[in-house]
Amino acid sequence: MLVGAFACAHTPQLLARPSTEDRDLVLRVHAAFARVKRRLEALRADAIAIVAGDHVEAFFLDGVPALAVYVGTECAGTFGRYRYRFPIHEPLARAVVEQGVERGFDLFYTQHAPLDYAFYVPLHFTMPEPAVPIVPLHVNVYLPPQPTPRRCHDWGRALGEILRARPERIALMASGGMSHFPGTDRYASPEFEYDRRLLETLKAGHGRELAAITGEELDKMGNIELRTWATVLGAVGDAKADVYCYEPSWHHGNAVVEWPV
Amino acid sequence: MDDQPHYRFPPASAYRLNRCLFALKSDDAFRARFIKDAHVAMAELGLDADDAAAVVRGDRNALLARGAHPYLVFMADLRLRMEREAVAFEFF
Repeated sequence: MLVGAFACAHTPQLLARPSTEDRDLVLRVHAAFARVKRRLEALRADAIAIVAGDHVEAFFLDGVPALAVYVGTECAGTFGRYRYRFPIHEPLARAVVEQGVERGFDLFYTQHAPLDYAFYVPLHFTMPEPAVPIVPLHVNVYLPPQPTPRRCHDWGRALGEILRARPERIALMASGGMSHFPGTDRYASPEFEYDRRLLETLKAGHGRELAAITGEELDKMGNIELRTWATVLGAVGDAKADVYCYEPSWHHGNAVVEWPV
Repeated sequence: MDDQPHYRFPPASAYRLNRCLFALKSDDAFRARFIKDAHVAMAELGLDADDAAAVVRGDRNALLARGAHPYLVFMADLRLRMEREAVAFEFF
C-alpha cells in the first residue's frame, strides 16, 4: 500500500555545505528533511520508492532510457568524497517493472548501475531508523528529448496503482527541483516566482496541472527535474500539498513537500 | 540563442567530447590521468585537436559551441577544481 508521498530537493550543496552557501538557509532545509524522516518513521514505511533524474551518472549517451527501474539486490554510488550503498527491495522493484510493462509502459531496467547523488542526497537526510530498502526509479531529465510531463504523470498514476496493490507499506518520494540552471548562464538567477506560483497550485490540490506544462516551459523555468514531481503527482491525484519549506538560495529553489495519501 | 533550450539534444559529432567530460566528472582514475597528462588521457578517447584544446582551456563557450552538454561542462570543471584546489566542504 502507499502510505506517504514526498518531494525533496537534492542540490548537493545541502550535503557538501561549501562556504558559498547560506548556513541558516541550508539548516532550515535540513530541518524540513528531518520532518520527512520522522514522518517516514511514523508511517512505518517498509520501503521507499524514490523517483529521481539521473545526472548523466548511470546513463550516458550509450543508452538513454526515458523511464528506468533499478532491480538489483543493492545499489551504490559515489559523489566526491561520499560513498553510499542501499539495499533494493527487489520483489517490489521487480513487480514495478513487470506490472508497469503490463500497463503499457516500456520500462528500461538495470541490475547494475551507479546510483546518482539525486537519489543519495534526500536519502542521506530522510532515511528512517531502522533503515528500509529502496526502489530507485529514474526519469530522464537531462538528456533531450525527455519524457513529457504528461507521460510522467501517466506513469505515476500507473505506479501509484501498482504500489497501492502491494502488501508492503511504501513511501513514494520525488527527488529534485525546484528552479535551477546548472551549467548555464542562468545558474545564479533561478525562476523563484514561477516556483512559488506552482507551489500555490499544488497546495490547492491542482497537481494535475503540472501534467499540462510543456517540456519547453520546464526548460525555460529551470524546472526540468519537475518530471519527478509530475510522476509522484500522478500517484497522489488531487491531494493538497503540505509545503514543509521553500528556500530560495542563490542558485536553487529548495522545496520539501508532503502529500497526504 | 535566447530561444534555444538550456539543455539541447547532444549532437553525435560531440560524442567523444561528451565522453571525455563525463569521464572527468565520474571516473576518478581518468581524472587522475588527465591531471597527470591531459593530452595522453584525451588521446585514449580519440578527441580531435580542437576538442582537446577547448577541454584544456576549460573554455565553456567553445565547449558548448562544439556540442558539449552544459551539465557535463559544469561538473567536469567542478571536479577538476576539487582535485586541484583545497575546496572547503562541510564548512558548517
